[in-house]
Amino acid sequence: MTGRRCSRRDVIAGGSASVLAGLAGCVAEGGLVGLGDGSSGPTVAILEDRSGTFALTGTAKYRTTKLAIEEINRDGGILGEEIEVFAPDPQSDNMRYQDLTRYAIYREDVDVMWAGYSSATREAIRPIVNEHEQLYFYTTQYEGGVCDKTVFPLGATARQQLGAVVPYMIEEYGDEIYTIAADYNFGQLSGDWVKIIAEEHGAEVVGEEYIPLSESQFGSTINDIRSADPDFVMSMLVGQDHSSFYEQRLASGLTDIPIGTSTNMAQEREHLRIDPPALEDVYAGVSYMEELPTDRNEAFVERYYDRWDDAEYINQEAQNNYFSVYLYKEAVERAGTFDQEAVIEELESGIEVEAPEGDVALDPTTHHVEHNMRVAHADETHEITFDDERTIEPTFLHDVGCDLTSEAEQTQYEPADYYEVV
Amino acid sequence: MSVGSSDGPLAGLRRPFEGPNTMGNTPGFWLGFVVAVAVLAALPVLFGYYAAEIGAVFLAYALLGVSLAFIWGYCGILSFGQVVFFGVGGYAFGVVAINVPTLTGATLGLLAAIAVSTCFAAALGYFMFYGGVRNVYVTILTLVVALVLYTFMGQTAGGEWAIGDARLGGFNGMSGVPDLGIGIGSTGLEIGIVAHYYVTLGALVATYLGLRALVNSHFGYAMVATREDESRTEMFGYNTTFIKFAAFTIGGAIAGLSGVLFTTQNNYIDPSVFGITAAALPVVWASVGGRTSLLGTVGAALAIQFLDYQLALSGSEWALVIIGSLLVFVVLVMPEGVAPRLRDIVVDYRSSEPTPADAPAGTEEVSD
Amino acid sequence: MAAPELLNLGFEFVEIFAFIVLATVGLAVIFGMMGIINLAHGEFILVGAYATSFAVAAGLPLAVAMAVGVVATAAFGLVLERFIIRRLYGRLLDSMVVTWGISLVMIQLTRIAFGNTAPGVGIPFGQLPVVDGPVYYLVLAVIAVGVLGGLYALFTWTDFGVRARATMQDEETARSMGVDTDRMYMATFAIGSGLAGLTGALYAPVMTVTPEYGTSFLVESFVAVVVGGSSVLLGTILASGFLGTVNAAFTNLAGTFMGQVAMLVAAIVAIRLMPDGITGLLSDLREKWGESE
Repeated sequence: MTGRRCSRRDVIAGGSASVLAGLAGCVAEGGLVGLGDGSSGPTVAILEDRSGTFALTGTAKYRTTKLAIEEINRDGGILGEEIEVFAPDPQSDNMRYQDLTRYAIYREDVDVMWAGYSSATREAIRPIVNEHEQLYFYTTQYEGGVCDKTVFPLGATARQQLGAVVPYMIEEYGDEIYTIAADYNFGQLSGDWVKIIAEEHGAEVVGEEYIPLSESQFGSTINDIRSADPDFVMSMLVGQDHSSFYEQRLASGLTDIPIGTSTNMAQEREHLRIDPPALEDVYAGVSYMEELPTDRNEAFVERYYDRWDDAEYINQEAQNNYFSVYLYKEAVERAGTFDQEAVIEELESGIEVEAPEGDVALDPTTHHVEHNMRVAHADETHEITFDDERTIEPTFLHDVGCDLTSEAEQTQYEPADYYEVV
Repeated sequence: MSVGSSDGPLAGLRRPFEGPNTMGNTPGFWLGFVVAVAVLAALPVLFGYYAAEIGAVFLAYALLGVSLAFIWGYCGILSFGQVVFFGVGGYAFGVVAINVPTLTGATLGLLAAIAVSTCFAAALGYFMFYGGVRNVYVTILTLVVALVLYTFMGQTAGGEWAIGDARLGGFNGMSGVPDLGIGIGSTGLEIGIVAHYYVTLGALVATYLGLRALVNSHFGYAMVATREDESRTEMFGYNTTFIKFAAFTIGGAIAGLSGVLFTTQNNYIDPSVFGITAAALPVVWASVGGRTSLLGTVGAALAIQFLDYQLALSGSEWALVIIGSLLVFVVLVMPEGVAPRLRDIVVDYRSSEPTPADAPAGTEEVSD
Repeated sequence: MAAPELLNLGFEFVEIFAFIVLATVGLAVIFGMMGIINLAHGEFILVGAYATSFAVAAGLPLAVAMAVGVVATAAFGLVLERFIIRRLYGRLLDSMVVTWGISLVMIQLTRIAFGNTAPGVGIPFGQLPVVDGPVYYLVLAVIAVGVLGGLYALFTWTDFGVRARATMQDEETARSMGVDTDRMYMATFAIGSGLAGLTGALYAPVMTVTPEYGTSFLVESFVAVVVGGSSVLLGTILASGFLGTVNAAFTNLAGTFMGQVAMLVAAIVAIRLMPDGITGLLSDLREKWGESE
């Protein structure tokens, strides 16, 4: 118990409270039986969903992490030590994530963890991660803004993804934008970013709709888009119910309006699950897709399918998991120890790694990655081509003054804190 | 049900908690009960902070289960929406405690949370029971209320969804909920990891004993009569609508308390507590444990969550298949639940013994 | 409101009405007639969708593939009835817990057996000329009404229907009259399952098929069954019409979120005002009217 302030009167007044304090006093952190960690070697926790709603994306995240660790162990481990893996299945359940995070920290005494697909999961375990100052890599592309001393959110942020695709779409198609987005934190903040970026480029959001995650009928949405007649649609639809939008888009003849997106294709591979040409002229702002035609990536894809022969797809965040394991290895080797504080210090020293998406650098002050952003285009056969490659820095956190090398924050900033979002 | 239940040195102490409406009215049962509580109390001492944190979560679940067993088992109201009060309690605590970041806030938060969840249950109960909603319609209606809250809370991400300094947080949930505490200003008791475990255990034991006393009181008899035959009970001059309303409200208050204990343990709550998966959990515990047995429900909640947790730890893709099959199996084989079944076995065993009163209390304390 | 907008609104209503009717009808038969709350209803729909999806991928024409979906789900329901469900007759609430367990098992087994997605099925028939919508939605609405009509004919005019209804109303008497009640339960459950399979098959082109597919139908179906009340077919039509109207109107006015919330709130209010559902209210009214005559 920390910070307990007990005056004598309080103790006398509250008999039960004193019993409580007494009981608590005789409990050691490890307990008498001392169920400490079973292993002495370095341990990595991979908490990624292999069942439940997020299995579609979580399975690949688990597998790329596992692949990277196996590769490293085959080459002699890190600092000569073999890495052990703690990999339960959190089943897409936030309550279970909390329990498993505690297990990983108390019982497995893990040196680092990769965990979670959704932002809600990250927020559910962040209090526990903060309490124990646990080194934690969160790799999903997300709304952005997390500024936290021990957390490394390595996925592309909404600002990075939309910063790649929205200007491209404005240039190609015109300046009237219609936004449809999932009605929760990520979708709403992404909608704000579309407005901010549109304004920066002299474009305008002519309509927007936020749609509950459980909705799978889009007749009304499609009608509204048609009557607003925008130059293009920005779609931040999320999840399996929302992917039905594309089939209904095709059957309603809406394929003449191109769509920009930060969520579809690279995460849940809608272009492979849904029959063409439902995703014709969908443009995704991505840091990575399996189809990326570079030698380094093709070799990575081959290694992945050799290891997991029933694998379905390598999504964007799975690639983040993969390269971040190597990022971690590099930091540990520079630090010469697995000690988390020392490793974080090395991660903050300007570190680079050869990722399948291209070389990436970790930004010391914000713990985010300068990603190689591209615009991926699906044609009428759902063939993917890549346009317009550029590196985008995590500028938003610089703007709000997040500097984790000098101040150990544990916050999440939002665009509304900084921009005027109408 | 047992002949020798009125003797023994502590009979007077036990009397308020015993009666025809509860199983386990023997000295042997109470001995077992004390042993079980002692074992639970010893867990953090033996296994440390880890056991305290995980254990506190499971005990909070058990308390939620009790809130359902009370209204379902004793009053025949199957609420599929106990998580509504659980979640509302958690959020209410968060709102108050975040806005008043001292021990006063935590204390007020606890009181406010119980008040809010009680009022919410009372309002919903009034709406339903005084409107003549019955049986399975109550079940579906409470589920729909949970789903409305799930959908609604999921979209409260924006800054406009804040009460004072407390952001509701939408789908990502409400973060930064302070620990439980009792006091004024900075004077008082902050409840840390281990203390939180004992507070939760204490709340569970106290609620259990309190409900035992309640169901063995006149009100309890009236509840059971309402469950068995509502129109006949009404004919005897009881206001069954009020009885259902009152029982439902008490259940909501307990669920709210469990929600506070859960939220303060995790310092976090999100709308998934209102989702259909979470909503089904209390129903599962109560059916497996035996809804007419409060202790059976506690045991089932602890056992099922522990098993579920172990299966998740194993990382096996078969975890959900095993849990689901087990549910089907238990309900098919033991329609009344595990605890009543065990009680029957013990009773059969006793009646076949020549001297039942002296029979050592072997397995019966498990039974309730 | 201009004419095209009215047309759009009408089309949205048709879309939602068909969805609610089809989501509900299988559940309504099983719940309304047999007193089983089937929380695995969504997963019955899942069976139909998967069977259809894989049959299409195997090269069968869509209509045949959908028939495969219906038959597969009916057969699946039959097996489940024999081994598990028949122990639950008269145990309304237990049936809920058991079917919840079945639902958990089925979702995960589907995932283990077939991976995270099923092959896509395109929406047939192309788009409508005036309104922005698929022709297929009109087909769905027609099928929805056709299914209800067919069920009505089956349960009122055929010998089987009379026996089945007699069994559900009073098993003892029916048995003493020589009805094989066991078979009636089996057949009714299989019909309910087959209808769920039909829903899965019909919506396989419209919604992407994943192991979680069935959960998309659950809320609408339960709400509609309860609002409809004890008379299965009439209740389904009236409840779907009512909820569909509320949903379409609010979606059109204030977006999808308000549409969903308004529908759920309307359901709560409807249950409160009509504790026995719409058809319960109707039969009360009829009785009162009959008495006063």
